Amino acid sequence: MMTCKEVLESLSEFVDEDLKADVVQAMHQHIGVCSECRAEFDTLTMTIKLYRHYETPQMPAPCHDRLVKVLELEKMKKKAGQSSSGSEG
Amino acid sequence: MVEERAVRDESDEALVQRAQRDDERAFGELVHRYESKVYSLALKMLRNPEDAEDVLQDTFLRAYRGIKSFQGNSTFSTWIYRITANSALMRLRKRQLPTVSIDDADEREVPINIADWAPGPVEQMLSQETQTAMAEAIESLPVEFRQVFVLRDLEELSNAEVAEILDLSVAAVKSRLHRARLKIRNRLATHFAEQPKPRRAMGAQP
Ligand SMILES: [Zn+2]
Repeated sequence: MMTCKEVLESLSEFVDEDLKADVVQAMHQHIGVCSECRAEFDTLTMTIKLYRHYETPQMPAPCHDRLVKVLELEKMKKKAGQSSSGSEG
Repeated sequence: MVEERAVRDESDEALVQRAQRDDERAFGELVHRYESKVYSLALKMLRNPEDAEDVLQDTFLRAYRGIKSFQGNSTFSTWIYRITANSALMRLRKRQLPTVSIDDADEREVPINIADWAPGPVEQMLSQETQTAMAEAIESLPVEFRQVFVLRDLEELSNAEVAEILDLSVAAVKSRLHRARLKIRNRLATHFAEQPKPRRAMGAQP
């Protein structure tokens, strides 16, 4: 039987399904009978679900336009040659 | 070599090679392919649209200047993510107060009452307050943890990819991810402990 400490240390990998089959089985066994580790597992799993549920805003279109301009400027600088000192602030 | 071939159909590798020969359209296509990913990564790390845009511009300027020295030992996406992560890290370090050494930061903050908030569907747990608590929890992560957390858990890259991007061992990635998750979970546990219990079922008595 795994100890609580061992279970807690492997919890993330367990959630990520990144453990060997025999360890997975031992984890399941422990969590089945230990309510504290079960709660640790449930809350960690829910935490991951919760933050993956939030959508990040898309890149606004003006960001693209400004990026293109910045790169155009850099291209012009390159074409003008390294010696030029055209600083754009 | 058919130079006029549509850049849209080219692989990243082919585009890199063309960009290294000063093909501006090829570099433009790489920008097109990766700009929203870079922006999204920067926004998740910095949580501020202006900073994310700065990192976006910084990343592609560096990529443009450095494309000839890109060896192709890693994929272009790993390379561009690495530039993004470094640029975001520098900005975070400037913004954040010095934090404790991350090796000392492993105290297990055992929360009280962690039980009893996980059961039930995600939708039930979602609220403006939870979102705010989550944002604060992520912002409270030390920068080195946050990098790993964003790449691994929000961008959902593999441990190996994150290790390559951040120049860490896979073991270090796993360890930081685990600690980051626990920190966020513990902050949320505190949040839920302070909340009235969510109503469980439709049939619950008012
Ligand atoms: Zn236990």
